[in-house]
Amino acid sequence: MIEIDALHKSFRKSRGLDGFSLHLENNELVGLVGPNGAGKTTLIKILATLLPADSGSVRVSGHDVSTAPAAVRAALGYLPDVAGIYQDMRIGEFLEFFADAFRLKEPRRTAAIEKALERAGLAERRQDFVEHLSLGWRQRLHLSKILLHEPKLLLLDEPATGLDPLARIQLREQLRRLHAEGVAILISSHILSDLEDICTRIVFIAEGKNVHEAQAPAPVLGAPAAIVRCELEFEGSAEVLDRVLTDFPGARVLERNDGFLLFELPGASRDASACLGKLLAAGITILHFDARGPGLEERYRRAFGDRTS
Amino acid sequence: MRRYVTNPMIIKELRQRLRERRSWLLPTLYLLVLSGIVVCVYYFTTDTDRHLRGVEVQGADIGQAIFLAVVLTQIIVLLLMGPVFSSGAITIEREQRTLAGLLTSLLTAPQIWWGKFVASLLYLLLLLASAIPLLALPFAFGGVEPLDLVKALGSTILTLASICAIGLWCSAIFRRSVHATASCYAIVLVLTIVTAVSFGMLYSHWQESHPGAQGPPAHIQAPLFLNPLYPLLTLIDENEFRSYVYPSSSWLMFAGIGCLAAALAMRRLQRSGEQL
Repeated sequence: MIEIDALHKSFRKSRGLDGFSLHLENNELVGLVGPNGAGKTTLIKILATLLPADSGSVRVSGHDVSTAPAAVRAALGYLPDVAGIYQDMRIGEFLEFFADAFRLKEPRRTAAIEKALERAGLAERRQDFVEHLSLGWRQRLHLSKILLHEPKLLLLDEPATGLDPLARIQLREQLRRLHAEGVAILISSHILSDLEDICTRIVFIAEGKNVHEAQAPAPVLGAPAAIVRCELEFEGSAEVLDRVLTDFPGARVLERNDGFLLFELPGASRDASACLGKLLAAGITILHFDARGPGLEERYRRAFGDRTS
Repeated sequence: MRRYVTNPMIIKELRQRLRERRSWLLPTLYLLVLSGIVVCVYYFTTDTDRHLRGVEVQGADIGQAIFLAVVLTQIIVLLLMGPVFSSGAITIEREQRTLAGLLTSLLTAPQIWWGKFVASLLYLLLLLASAIPLLALPFAFGGVEPLDLVKALGSTILTLASICAIGLWCSAIFRRSVHATASCYAIVLVLTIVTAVSFGMLYSHWQESHPGAQGPPAHIQAPLFLNPLYPLLTLIDENEFRSYVYPSSSWLMFAGIGCLAAALAMRRLQRSGEQL
Protein backbone atom coordinates (compact mmCIF):
# COMPACT_ATOMS: atom_id res chain seq x y z
CA MET A 1 0.00 0.00 0.00
CA ILE A 2 2.84 2.37 0.90
CA GLU A 3 6.38 1.96 -0.42
CA ILE A 4 8.84 4.58 0.76
CA ASP A 5 12.51 4.20 -0.03
CA ALA A 6 15.34 6.51 1.06
CA LEU A 7 13.10 9.56 1.35
CA HIS A 8 14.78 12.92 1.79
CA LYS A 9 13.17 16.27 2.43
CA SER A 10 14.95 19.42 3.55
CA PHE A 11 13.59 22.77 4.55
CA ARG A 12 15.45 26.08 4.57
CA LYS A 13 16.72 25.77 8.10
CA SER A 14 16.18 22.14 8.94
CA ARG A 15 16.11 18.62 7.61
CA GLY A 16 12.67 17.04 7.55
CA LEU A 17 13.46 13.52 6.37
CA ASP A 18 16.83 11.91 5.96
CA GLY A 19 16.65 8.62 4.14
CA PHE A 20 13.47 7.33 5.76
CA SER A 21 12.03 4.07 4.42
CA LEU A 22 8.77 2.30 5.15
CA HIS A 23 6.72 -0.46 3.58
CA LEU A 24 3.13 -0.79 4.69
CA GLU A 25 1.00 -3.71 3.57
CA ASN A 26 -2.72 -3.65 2.79
CA ASN A 27 -3.84 -5.14 6.08
CA GLU A 28 -1.66 -3.13 8.44
CA LEU A 29 -2.44 -0.52 11.05
CA VAL A 30 0.91 1.11 11.64
CA GLY A 31 1.72 3.61 14.36
CA LEU A 32 4.31 6.28 13.59
CA VAL A 33 6.09 7.29 16.74
CA GLY A 34 8.81 9.81 17.40
CA PRO A 35 9.64 12.99 19.27
CA ASN A 36 8.48 16.42 18.09
CA GLY A 37 10.31 17.44 14.93
CA ALA A 38 11.14 13.85 14.05
CA GLY A 39 9.58 14.16 10.60
CA LYS A 40 6.24 12.43 11.17
CA THR A 41 4.07 15.24 9.82
CA THR A 42 6.46 15.88 6.94
CA LEU A 43 6.25 12.21 5.98
CA ILE A 44 2.45 12.20 6.12
CA LYS A 45 2.26 15.42 4.11
CA ILE A 46 4.47 13.95 1.41
CA LEU A 47 2.27 10.86 1.29
CA ALA A 48 -0.81 13.10 1.09
CA THR A 49 0.75 14.93 -1.93
CA LEU A 50 0.90 18.21 -0.02
CA LEU A 51 4.69 18.38 0.02
CA PRO A 52 7.13 17.40 -2.71
CA ALA A 53 10.03 15.15 -1.69
CA ASP A 54 13.61 16.17 -2.50
CA SER A 55 14.67 12.64 -3.38
CA GLY A 56 13.72 9.04 -2.82
CA SER A 57 10.76 7.07 -3.99
CA VAL A 58 7.22 7.24 -2.58
CA ARG A 59 4.44 5.11 -3.95
CA VAL A 60 0.91 4.83 -2.63
CA SER A 61 -1.27 2.01 -3.93
CA GLY A 62 1.21 1.60 -6.77
CA HIS A 63 1.12 5.27 -7.82
CA ASP A 64 4.06 7.62 -7.54
CA VAL A 65 3.06 10.63 -5.41
CA SER A 66 5.02 13.08 -7.56
CA THR A 67 3.87 11.92 -10.99
CA ALA A 68 0.33 10.73 -10.26
CA PRO A 69 -0.93 12.86 -7.35
CA ALA A 70 -4.60 12.62 -8.40
CA ALA A 71 -4.48 8.81 -8.35
CA VAL A 72 -2.82 8.92 -4.94
CA ARG A 73 -5.47 11.31 -3.57
CA ALA A 74 -8.19 9.03 -4.88
CA ALA A 75 -6.61 6.14 -2.98
CA LEU A 76 -6.15 7.80 0.40
CA GLY A 77 -7.93 9.73 3.08
CA TYR A 78 -5.91 12.32 4.98
CA LEU A 79 -6.70 13.76 8.38
CA PRO A 80 -4.28 16.58 9.33
CA ASP A 81 -3.15 17.26 12.89
CA VAL A 82 -5.40 20.31 13.13
CA ALA A 83 -8.29 19.67 10.79
CA GLY A 84 -10.32 22.79 10.14
CA ILE A 85 -13.99 22.73 9.42
CA TYR A 86 -16.45 25.04 7.68
CA GLN A 87 -18.33 26.40 10.66
CA ASP A 88 -21.05 28.04 8.61
CA MET A 89 -22.08 24.89 6.77
CA ARG A 90 -24.62 22.31 7.80
CA ILE A 91 -23.34 18.80 8.45
CA GLY A 92 -25.13 17.45 5.37
CA GLU A 93 -23.80 20.26 3.17
CA PHE A 94 -20.28 19.68 4.43
CA LEU A 95 -20.40 16.03 3.37
CA GLU A 96 -22.14 16.87 0.09
CA PHE A 97 -19.39 19.33 -0.77
CA PHE A 98 -16.64 16.80 -0.19
CA ALA A 99 -18.57 14.08 -2.01
CA ASP A 100 -18.61 16.43 -5.00
CA ALA A 101 -14.96 17.34 -4.44
CA PHE A 102 -14.16 13.63 -4.74
CA ARG A 103 -16.31 13.51 -7.88
CA LEU A 104 -18.74 10.92 -6.60
CA LYS A 105 -21.60 10.40 -9.02
CA GLU A 106 -25.17 9.45 -8.20
CA PRO A 107 -26.30 7.05 -6.81
CA ARG A 108 -22.92 6.44 -5.16
CA ARG A 109 -22.83 10.04 -3.93
CA THR A 110 -26.05 9.86 -1.92
CA ALA A 111 -25.17 6.41 -0.58
CA ALA A 112 -21.71 7.63 0.50
CA ILE A 113 -23.19 10.66 2.29
CA GLU A 114 -25.77 8.54 4.10
CA LYS A 115 -23.10 6.05 5.11
CA ALA A 116 -20.83 8.85 6.33
CA LEU A 117 -23.63 10.36 8.42
CA GLU A 118 -24.39 6.95 9.87
CA ARG A 119 -20.72 6.22 10.52
CA ALA A 120 -20.31 9.53 12.33
CA GLY A 121 -23.54 8.99 14.26
CA LEU A 122 -24.86 12.27 12.88
CA ALA A 123 -27.72 11.04 10.70
CA GLU A 124 -30.26 12.79 12.92
CA ARG A 125 -28.29 16.02 12.94
CA ARG A 126 -27.57 16.54 9.24
CA GLN A 127 -29.36 19.91 9.28
CA ASP A 128 -27.33 21.18 12.24
CA PHE A 129 -24.54 23.64 11.67
CA VAL A 130 -21.04 22.22 12.05
CA GLU A 131 -20.12 24.95 14.55
CA HIS A 132 -22.49 23.39 17.07
CA LEU A 133 -20.51 20.14 17.20
CA SER A 134 -18.08 19.34 20.00
CA LEU A 135 -14.46 18.48 19.19
CA GLY A 136 -15.15 14.76 19.45
CA TRP A 137 -18.09 14.93 17.06
CA ARG A 138 -16.10 17.09 14.68
CA GLN A 139 -13.36 14.51 14.62
CA ARG A 140 -15.94 11.81 13.86
CA LEU A 141 -17.32 13.98 11.06
CA HIS A 142 -13.80 14.48 9.70
CA LEU A 143 -13.11 10.78 9.76
CA SER A 144 -16.37 10.12 7.95
CA LYS A 145 -15.53 12.84 5.44
CA ILE A 146 -12.20 11.31 4.52
CA LEU A 147 -13.91 7.94 4.10
CA LEU A 148 -16.52 9.28 1.64
CA HIS A 149 -14.66 8.04 -1.42
CA GLU A 150 -13.82 4.71 0.24
CA PRO A 151 -10.04 5.07 0.30
CA LYS A 152 -7.83 2.03 0.78
CA LEU A 153 -5.42 3.95 2.98
CA LEU A 154 -5.89 6.41 5.82
CA LEU A 155 -3.21 8.86 6.90
CA LEU A 156 -3.99 10.18 10.36
CA ASP A 157 -1.79 12.83 11.90
CA GLU A 158 -2.38 13.10 15.66
CA PRO A 159 -6.09 12.29 15.38
CA ALA A 160 -6.67 11.98 19.13
CA THR A 161 -5.19 15.32 20.15
CA GLY A 162 -7.61 17.26 22.33
CA LEU A 163 -10.20 14.50 22.50
CA ASP A 164 -11.71 13.49 25.83
CA PRO A 165 -11.21 9.87 27.00
CA LEU A 166 -14.59 8.68 25.70
CA ALA A 167 -13.99 10.25 22.29
CA ARG A 168 -10.55 8.61 22.22
CA ILE A 169 -12.06 5.23 22.99
CA GLN A 170 -14.64 5.72 20.23
CA LEU A 171 -11.91 6.77 17.81
CA ARG A 172 -9.91 3.65 18.62
CA GLU A 173 -12.96 1.47 18.10
CA GLN A 174 -13.67 3.16 14.80
CA LEU A 175 -10.10 2.65 13.61
CA ARG A 176 -10.20 -0.97 14.68
CA ARG A 177 -13.41 -1.45 12.69
CA LEU A 178 -11.91 0.20 9.63
CA HIS A 179 -8.84 -1.96 9.90
CA ALA A 180 -11.06 -5.03 10.10
CA GLU A 181 -12.83 -3.81 6.95
CA GLY A 182 -9.47 -3.91 5.16
CA VAL A 183 -8.43 -0.25 5.26
CA ALA A 184 -4.69 0.20 5.77
CA ILE A 185 -3.93 2.93 8.31
CA LEU A 186 -0.81 4.94 9.09
CA ILE A 187 -1.34 6.87 12.30
CA SER A 188 0.99 9.32 13.96
CA SER A 189 0.40 9.98 17.64
CA HIS A 190 2.08 10.84 20.90
CA ILE A 191 -0.55 8.92 22.84
CA LEU A 192 1.38 5.67 23.09
CA SER A 193 -1.30 3.77 24.99
CA ASP A 194 -3.72 4.32 22.10
CA LEU A 195 -1.20 3.10 19.57
CA GLU A 196 -0.28 0.14 21.74
CA ASP A 197 -3.93 -0.78 21.88
CA ILE A 198 -4.73 -0.78 18.18
CA CYS A 199 -1.58 -0.96 16.06
CA THR A 200 -0.29 -4.09 14.39
CA ARG A 201 3.14 -2.50 14.07
CA ILE A 202 5.01 0.50 15.41
CA VAL A 203 7.53 2.46 13.37
CA PHE A 204 9.96 4.71 15.21
CA ILE A 205 11.29 7.83 13.57
CA ALA A 206 13.76 10.46 14.78
CA GLU A 207 15.60 13.20 12.91
CA GLY A 208 13.96 11.98 9.74
CA LYS A 209 15.44 8.49 9.95
CA ASN A 210 14.14 5.06 10.90
CA VAL A 211 15.19 4.42 14.47
CA HIS A 212 13.86 1.07 15.47
CA GLU A 213 11.05 -1.15 14.36
CA ALA A 214 9.43 -3.82 16.47
CA GLN A 215 6.21 -5.72 16.84
CA ALA A 216 3.62 -3.96 18.93
CA PRO A 217 3.31 -5.92 22.17
CA ALA A 218 0.72 -8.65 22.23
CA PRO A 219 -1.63 -8.50 25.22
CA VAL A 220 -0.20 -11.50 27.08
CA LEU A 221 3.07 -13.36 26.79
CA GLY A 222 3.75 -11.80 23.46
CA ALA A 223 6.88 -10.19 22.22
CA PRO A 224 10.38 -11.05 23.32
CA ALA A 225 11.63 -8.76 26.05
CA ALA A 226 14.59 -8.26 28.31
CA ILE A 227 12.34 -8.01 31.36
CA VAL A 228 8.92 -9.53 31.87
CA ARG A 229 6.65 -8.03 34.48
CA CYS A 230 4.32 -10.60 36.08
CA GLU A 231 1.16 -10.00 38.04
CA LEU A 232 -0.02 -12.93 40.13
CA GLU A 233 -3.09 -13.59 42.26
CA PHE A 234 -2.83 -16.87 44.13
CA GLU A 235 -3.98 -19.10 46.93
CA GLY A 236 -1.33 -21.01 48.84
CA SER A 237 1.87 -20.55 50.76
CA ALA A 238 3.85 -17.37 50.14
CA GLU A 239 7.02 -19.14 51.29
CA VAL A 240 6.63 -21.81 48.60
CA LEU A 241 6.16 -19.06 46.10
CA ASP A 242 9.35 -17.28 47.26
CA ARG A 243 11.23 -20.54 46.96
CA VAL A 244 10.08 -20.96 43.37
CA LEU A 245 11.22 -17.43 42.54
CA THR A 246 14.72 -18.12 43.85
CA ASP A 247 15.06 -20.58 40.94
CA PHE A 248 15.02 -17.54 38.63
CA PRO A 249 18.16 -15.48 39.17
CA GLY A 250 17.45 -11.77 38.97
CA ALA A 251 13.77 -12.10 39.84
CA ARG A 252 12.64 -9.03 41.79
CA VAL A 253 9.49 -8.59 43.83
CA LEU A 254 7.97 -5.17 43.27
CA GLU A 255 4.80 -5.37 45.32
CA ARG A 256 3.43 -7.91 47.73
CA ASN A 257 -0.02 -8.09 49.30
CA ASP A 258 -2.12 -10.84 50.73
CA GLY A 259 -2.65 -13.25 47.80
CA PHE A 260 -1.07 -10.83 45.32
CA LEU A 261 2.45 -10.51 43.97
CA LEU A 262 3.95 -8.22 41.37
CA PHE A 263 7.42 -9.24 40.23
CA GLU A 264 9.91 -8.84 37.40
CA LEU A 265 11.75 -11.66 35.68
CA PRO A 266 14.78 -11.20 33.48
CA GLY A 267 14.32 -12.80 30.07
CA ALA A 268 11.45 -13.26 27.69
CA SER A 269 7.91 -14.56 27.73
CA ARG A 270 9.11 -18.18 27.77
CA ASP A 271 10.73 -17.49 31.18
CA ALA A 272 7.38 -16.28 32.46
CA SER A 273 5.79 -19.49 31.15
CA ALA A 274 8.47 -21.55 32.91
CA CYS A 275 7.83 -19.66 36.14
CA LEU A 276 4.09 -20.28 35.86
CA GLY A 277 4.75 -24.01 35.30
CA LYS A 278 6.95 -24.21 38.40
CA LEU A 279 4.37 -22.38 40.52
CA LEU A 280 1.68 -24.83 39.47
CA ALA A 281 4.01 -27.77 40.06
CA ALA A 282 4.71 -26.43 43.55
CA GLY A 283 0.99 -26.63 44.36
CA ILE A 284 0.17 -22.93 44.23
CA THR A 285 -3.38 -22.24 43.07
CA ILE A 286 -3.24 -19.55 40.41
CA LEU A 287 -6.26 -17.24 40.29
CA HIS A 288 -4.78 -14.77 37.83
CA PHE A 289 -1.48 -14.54 36.01
CA ASP A 290 -0.54 -11.78 33.62
CA ALA A 291 2.92 -11.35 32.12
CA ARG A 292 3.85 -8.47 29.84
CA GLY A 293 6.99 -7.51 28.01
CA PRO A 294 8.07 -3.91 27.98
CA GLY A 295 5.21 -1.62 26.93
CA LEU A 296 5.44 0.88 24.14
CA GLU A 297 6.45 3.53 26.64
CA GLU A 298 9.44 1.44 27.67
CA ARG A 299 10.36 0.75 24.07
CA TYR A 300 9.97 4.46 23.31
CA ARG A 301 12.27 5.28 26.21
CA ARG A 302 14.82 2.81 24.90
CA ALA A 303 14.62 4.20 21.39
CA PHE A 304 14.59 7.89 22.24
CA GLY A 305 15.82 8.00 25.81
CA ASP A 306 18.64 10.43 25.17
CA ARG A 307 16.81 12.53 22.61
CA THR A 308 14.94 15.66 23.54
CA SER A 309 12.15 16.98 21.38
CA MET B 1 -14.75 22.20 -19.22
CA ARG B 2 -17.89 20.78 -17.55
CA ARG B 3 -15.90 20.46 -14.32
CA TYR B 4 -15.41 24.22 -14.25
CA VAL B 5 -19.11 24.89 -14.74
CA THR B 6 -20.33 22.33 -12.19
CA ASN B 7 -17.58 23.23 -9.77
CA PRO B 8 -18.59 22.36 -6.18
CA MET B 9 -16.40 25.23 -4.96
CA ILE B 10 -18.77 27.77 -6.53
CA ILE B 11 -21.80 26.36 -4.73
CA LYS B 12 -19.93 26.15 -1.44
CA GLU B 13 -18.54 29.68 -1.71
CA LEU B 14 -21.85 31.25 -2.69
CA ARG B 15 -23.67 29.38 0.05
CA GLN B 16 -21.16 30.60 2.63
CA ARG B 17 -21.14 34.17 1.34
CA LEU B 18 -24.90 34.49 1.21
CA ARG B 19 -25.13 33.29 4.81
CA GLU B 20 -23.05 36.19 6.02
CA ARG B 21 -24.82 39.22 7.42
CA ARG B 22 -23.03 41.46 4.95
CA SER B 23 -24.68 39.62 2.06
CA TRP B 24 -27.88 41.65 2.54
CA LEU B 25 -26.34 44.59 4.37
CA LEU B 26 -23.92 45.54 1.58
CA PRO B 27 -26.47 45.62 -1.28
CA THR B 28 -28.72 47.76 0.92
CA LEU B 29 -25.96 50.24 1.70
CA TYR B 30 -24.75 50.14 -1.88
CA LEU B 31 -28.16 51.03 -3.28
CA LEU B 32 -28.66 53.72 -0.65
CA VAL B 33 -25.36 55.35 -1.66
CA LEU B 34 -26.19 55.18 -5.35
CA SER B 35 -29.73 56.50 -4.76
CA GLY B 36 -28.30 59.35 -2.72
CA ILE B 37 -25.92 60.17 -5.54
CA VAL B 38 -28.76 60.15 -8.07
CA VAL B 39 -30.85 62.52 -5.96
CA CYS B 40 -27.88 64.85 -5.32
CA VAL B 41 -26.89 64.94 -8.98
CA TYR B 42 -30.46 65.59 -10.04
CA TYR B 43 -30.90 68.53 -7.70
CA PHE B 44 -27.39 69.86 -8.32
CA THR B 45 -27.85 69.76 -12.11
CA THR B 46 -31.26 71.37 -12.11
CA ASP B 47 -30.47 73.95 -9.43
CA THR B 48 -27.16 74.98 -10.96
CA ASP B 49 -28.66 75.37 -14.39
CA ARG B 50 -31.71 77.21 -13.17
CA HIS B 51 -30.17 79.65 -10.73
CA LEU B 52 -26.64 80.27 -11.87
CA ARG B 53 -26.97 80.21 -15.63
CA GLY B 54 -30.61 81.07 -15.86
CA VAL B 55 -31.22 78.65 -18.77
CA GLU B 56 -33.91 76.06 -19.14
CA VAL B 57 -32.66 72.63 -18.02
CA GLN B 58 -32.40 69.99 -20.77
CA GLY B 59 -33.48 66.42 -20.01
CA ALA B 60 -30.42 65.05 -21.82
CA ASP B 61 -28.09 66.98 -19.52
CA ILE B 62 -29.76 65.51 -16.46
CA GLY B 63 -29.68 62.02 -17.98
CA GLN B 64 -25.99 62.21 -18.81
CA ALA B 65 -25.08 63.64 -15.43
CA ILE B 66 -26.97 60.96 -13.55
CA PHE B 67 -25.59 58.21 -15.76
CA LEU B 68 -21.97 59.30 -15.37
CA ALA B 69 -22.36 59.86 -11.64
CA VAL B 70 -23.88 56.41 -11.11
CA VAL B 71 -21.32 54.63 -13.32
CA LEU B 72 -18.34 56.34 -11.65
CA THR B 73 -19.72 55.95 -8.13
CA GLN B 74 -20.48 52.28 -8.60
CA ILE B 75 -17.03 51.45 -9.97
CA ILE B 76 -15.41 53.33 -7.07
CA VAL B 77 -17.59 51.56 -4.50
CA LEU B 78 -17.07 48.17 -6.16
CA LEU B 79 -13.30 48.77 -6.34
CA LEU B 80 -13.43 49.25 -2.60
CA MET B 81 -15.48 46.07 -2.14
CA GLY B 82 -13.62 43.83 -4.60
CA PRO B 83 -10.57 43.26 -2.37
CA VAL B 84 -12.82 42.43 0.59
CA PHE B 85 -14.38 39.51 -1.26
CA SER B 86 -11.40 38.20 -3.18
CA SER B 87 -8.28 38.77 -1.10
CA GLY B 88 -9.55 36.75 1.86
CA ALA B 89 -10.84 33.86 -0.21
CA ILE B 90 -7.78 31.58 0.02
CA THR B 91 -6.23 32.95 3.20
CA ILE B 92 -9.44 32.16 5.06
CA GLU B 93 -8.98 28.50 4.09
CA ARG B 94 -5.48 28.65 5.56
CA GLU B 95 -6.66 30.42 8.69
CA GLN B 96 -9.50 27.95 9.20
CA ARG B 97 -7.12 25.04 8.42
CA THR B 98 -9.42 23.80 5.69
CA LEU B 99 -7.04 24.21 2.76
CA ALA B 100 -5.43 20.79 3.32
CA GLY B 101 -8.84 19.18 2.90
CA LEU B 102 -9.31 20.92 -0.44
CA LEU B 103 -5.82 20.19 -1.72
CA THR B 104 -6.07 16.49 -0.88
CA SER B 105 -9.45 16.15 -2.56
CA LEU B 106 -9.77 15.61 -6.30
CA LEU B 107 -10.25 19.33 -6.88
CA THR B 108 -7.36 20.76 -8.89
CA ALA B 109 -5.71 24.10 -8.11
CA PRO B 110 -7.36 25.74 -11.17
CA GLN B 111 -10.77 24.43 -10.04
CA ILE B 112 -10.27 25.81 -6.54
CA TRP B 113 -9.14 29.13 -7.99
CA TRP B 114 -12.05 29.23 -10.43
CA GLY B 115 -14.57 28.53 -7.68
CA LYS B 116 -13.18 31.32 -5.55
CA PHE B 117 -12.98 33.71 -8.50
CA VAL B 118 -16.51 33.12 -9.75
CA ALA B 119 -17.95 33.41 -6.25
CA SER B 120 -16.11 36.71 -5.61
CA LEU B 121 -17.10 38.14 -8.97
CA LEU B 122 -20.68 36.92 -8.83
CA TYR B 123 -21.30 38.80 -5.63
CA LEU B 124 -19.98 42.00 -7.17
CA LEU B 125 -22.10 41.32 -10.25
CA LEU B 126 -25.10 40.94 -7.98
CA LEU B 127 -24.42 44.44 -6.67
CA LEU B 128 -23.93 45.67 -10.22
CA ALA B 129 -27.18 44.07 -11.34
CA SER B 130 -29.08 45.50 -8.40
CA ALA B 131 -28.13 48.99 -9.61
CA ILE B 132 -29.38 48.47 -13.18
CA PRO B 133 -32.72 50.22 -12.44
CA LEU B 134 -30.73 53.28 -11.35
CA LEU B 135 -28.62 53.07 -14.49
CA ALA B 136 -31.80 52.80 -16.56
CA LEU B 137 -33.20 55.96 -14.97
CA PRO B 138 -31.21 58.30 -17.30
CA PHE B 139 -33.02 56.75 -20.29
CA ALA B 140 -36.15 58.52 -19.06
CA PHE B 141 -34.32 61.85 -19.38
CA GLY B 142 -32.48 61.04 -22.61
CA GLY B 143 -28.92 61.83 -23.66
CA VAL B 144 -27.73 58.29 -23.01
CA GLU B 145 -27.67 55.45 -25.54
CA PRO B 146 -28.07 51.76 -24.75
CA LEU B 147 -24.57 51.25 -26.13
CA ASP B 148 -23.25 53.53 -23.39
CA LEU B 149 -24.85 51.29 -20.79
CA VAL B 150 -23.33 48.18 -22.39
CA LYS B 151 -19.91 49.83 -22.56
CA ALA B 152 -20.10 51.00 -18.96
CA LEU B 153 -21.19 47.61 -17.66
CA GLY B 154 -18.70 45.69 -19.81
CA SER B 155 -15.81 47.89 -18.76
CA THR B 156 -16.79 47.72 -15.10
CA ILE B 157 -17.13 43.93 -15.19
CA LEU B 158 -13.72 43.53 -16.87
CA THR B 159 -12.08 45.83 -14.32
CA LEU B 160 -13.72 44.03 -11.39
CA ALA B 161 -12.72 40.63 -12.78
CA SER B 162 -9.10 41.81 -12.92
CA ILE B 163 -9.30 43.20 -9.39
CA CYS B 164 -10.76 39.89 -8.17
CA ALA B 165 -7.92 38.01 -9.88
CA ILE B 166 -5.39 40.34 -8.23
CA GLY B 167 -7.14 39.84 -4.88
CA LEU B 168 -6.95 36.07 -5.26
CA TRP B 169 -3.29 36.30 -6.14
CA CYS B 170 -2.67 38.30 -2.95
CA SER B 171 -4.71 35.71 -1.10
CA ALA B 172 -2.60 32.90 -2.54
CA ILE B 173 0.74 34.43 -1.57
CA PHE B 174 -0.05 35.68 1.93
CA ARG B 175 -0.83 33.58 4.97
CA ARG B 176 -3.13 36.07 6.67
CA SER B 177 -6.27 37.71 5.28
CA VAL B 178 -5.36 41.08 6.74
CA HIS B 179 -2.05 41.16 4.85
CA ALA B 180 -3.64 39.99 1.61
CA THR B 181 -6.43 42.56 1.87
CA ALA B 182 -4.01 45.39 2.67
CA SER B 183 -1.82 44.42 -0.28
CA CYS B 184 -4.78 44.28 -2.63
CA TYR B 185 -5.95 47.72 -1.49
CA ALA B 186 -2.43 49.03 -2.04
CA ILE B 187 -2.53 47.71 -5.60
CA VAL B 188 -5.97 49.29 -6.18
CA LEU B 189 -4.62 52.54 -4.78
CA VAL B 190 -1.65 52.41 -7.15
CA LEU B 191 -3.93 51.70 -10.09
CA THR B 192 -6.31 54.57 -9.33
CA ILE B 193 -4.33 57.33 -7.63
CA VAL B 194 -0.71 56.76 -8.64
CA THR B 195 -1.57 56.31 -12.33
CA ALA B 196 -3.65 59.52 -12.28
CA VAL B 197 -0.86 61.49 -10.57
CA SER B 198 1.73 60.06 -13.00
CA PHE B 199 -0.44 61.08 -15.92
CA GLY B 200 -0.86 64.57 -14.45
CA MET B 201 2.90 65.01 -14.17
CA LEU B 202 3.57 63.66 -17.67
CA TYR B 203 0.77 65.76 -19.13
CA SER B 204 1.94 69.03 -17.58
CA HIS B 205 5.50 68.34 -18.76
CA TRP B 206 4.21 67.50 -22.23
CA GLN B 207 2.04 70.64 -22.34
CA GLU B 208 5.04 72.79 -21.53
CA SER B 209 7.04 71.31 -24.39
CA HIS B 210 4.06 71.26 -26.80
CA PRO B 211 2.18 74.55 -26.26
CA GLY B 212 -1.10 74.68 -28.15
CA ALA B 213 -1.08 70.97 -29.04
CA GLN B 214 -4.45 69.20 -28.97
CA GLY B 215 -4.99 66.30 -26.55
CA PRO B 216 -2.24 64.15 -25.06
CA PRO B 217 -0.83 61.36 -27.26
CA ALA B 218 -1.12 57.70 -26.26
CA HIS B 219 2.33 57.45 -24.66
CA ILE B 220 1.53 60.33 -22.31
CA GLN B 221 -1.73 58.64 -21.40
CA ALA B 222 -0.02 55.26 -20.89
CA PRO B 223 -0.21 55.33 -17.05
CA LEU B 224 -3.94 55.91 -17.31
CA PHE B 225 -4.40 52.67 -19.27
CA LEU B 226 -3.99 50.98 -15.88
CA ASN B 227 -6.58 53.22 -14.25
CA PRO B 228 -9.95 51.49 -13.72
CA LEU B 229 -11.81 54.75 -14.34
CA TYR B 230 -10.08 55.56 -17.60
CA PRO B 231 -12.20 53.49 -20.03
CA LEU B 232 -15.31 55.13 -18.59
CA LEU B 233 -14.11 58.53 -19.85
CA THR B 234 -15.41 57.52 -23.28
CA LEU B 235 -18.89 57.92 -21.84
CA ILE B 236 -18.40 61.67 -21.57
CA ASP B 237 -20.48 63.04 -24.39
CA GLU B 238 -17.95 65.30 -26.02
CA ASN B 239 -16.67 64.03 -29.33
CA GLU B 240 -13.49 66.08 -29.15
CA PHE B 241 -12.64 64.60 -25.77
CA ARG B 242 -13.65 61.07 -26.77
CA SER B 243 -11.25 61.04 -29.71
CA TYR B 244 -8.29 61.23 -27.34
CA VAL B 245 -9.33 58.29 -25.14
CA TYR B 246 -8.11 54.77 -25.95
CA PRO B 247 -10.37 52.45 -23.94
CA SER B 248 -9.35 49.29 -25.80
CA SER B 249 -5.73 49.71 -24.61
CA SER B 250 -6.99 49.84 -21.06
CA TRP B 251 -9.26 46.82 -21.54
CA LEU B 252 -6.32 44.85 -22.95
CA MET B 253 -4.17 45.90 -20.01
CA PHE B 254 -6.75 44.77 -17.47
CA ALA B 255 -7.36 41.50 -19.29
CA GLY B 256 -3.61 40.86 -19.33
CA ILE B 257 -3.15 41.74 -15.67
CA GLY B 258 -6.10 39.53 -14.74
CA CYS B 259 -4.74 36.55 -16.69
CA LEU B 260 -1.27 36.99 -15.20
CA ALA B 261 -2.64 37.24 -11.66
CA ALA B 262 -4.76 34.13 -12.27
CA ALA B 263 -1.79 32.13 -13.54
CA LEU B 264 0.40 33.20 -10.62
CA ALA B 265 -2.34 32.48 -8.08
CA MET B 266 -2.95 28.97 -9.45
CA ARG B 267 0.77 28.24 -9.45
CA ARG B 268 1.02 29.39 -5.88
CA LEU B 269 -2.04 27.43 -4.86
CA GLN B 270 -0.53 24.27 -6.30
CA ARG B 271 2.45 24.72 -4.01
CA SER B 272 0.58 25.92 -0.98
CA GLY B 273 0.83 22.53 0.73
CA GLU B 274 4.23 23.75 1.90
CA GLN B 275 2.60 26.63 3.78
CA LEU B 276 0.22 24.41 5.72
